[in-house]
Amino acid sequence: MNRYELIYIIDTGLEEAARKELIEKVSALIANNGGEIEKVDETWGKRRLAYAIDYKTEGWYVLVTFKAPAELPRELERNLQINENVLRYLVVKLVEKRSNVKPRPVRPAAEEAAPAVEDAAPAVEAAAEEAAPAADAE
Amino acid sequence: MSEERGERRPRPRGGRRPRRKVCSFCVDKIEYIDYKDINRLRRFTNERGKILPRRMSGNCAKHQRQLSEAIKRARAIALMPYTVD
Repeated sequence: MNRYELIYIIDTGLEEAARKELIEKVSALIANNGGEIEKVDETWGKRRLAYAIDYKTEGWYVLVTFKAPAELPRELERNLQINENVLRYLVVKLVEKRSNVKPRPVRPAAEEAAPAVEDAAPAVEAAAEEAAPAADAE
Repeated sequence: MSEERGERRPRPRGGRRPRRKVCSFCVDKIEYIDYKDINRLRRFTNERGKILPRRMSGNCAKHQRQLSEAIKRARAIALMPYTVD
């Protein structure tokens, strides 16, 4: 058994019920193939994509951590590939020595409603952030 | 990483800046760079979305490898852009 982390993006065109169902389906798939779900994290929720995928600019992010035998990711990826409501997925093996950065700060749902305005902003904001460390690196 | 940390050794000639950059991941004692931490990763890309070279970022080789891996993962799931124009 290894620990894995799956992150996938669901089409936001999908209604909530269908989305829930899809998430259930993925979880069930893991469980039925000898995997063991540790956590399903939906706190990311709807998020703006860094680039358009199939002309879509937002997606619903779901993060799943699970334990599974080594054959499972391949099967999982095969299934995610087939599902057309899944825009992207990524399965990563978790590293045990993750003295990592703090767990990702959860963006409050309220914040998600606002960013629609700053659609054009991310690039600018990225540029600004980039400029700062370059300056203090001198 | 035992080489001299460049405590401001005077450069013989030429106007090179002597300040030696230090790997920020080593400073923060990060062993594993998470691809989900895009705010951190973004600091290591330029405004076009390209990964900064070590000579700019000052990262050690170990962390630079991890960093580039993390950025590429983040790109794959649309957390970070491949290119910005």
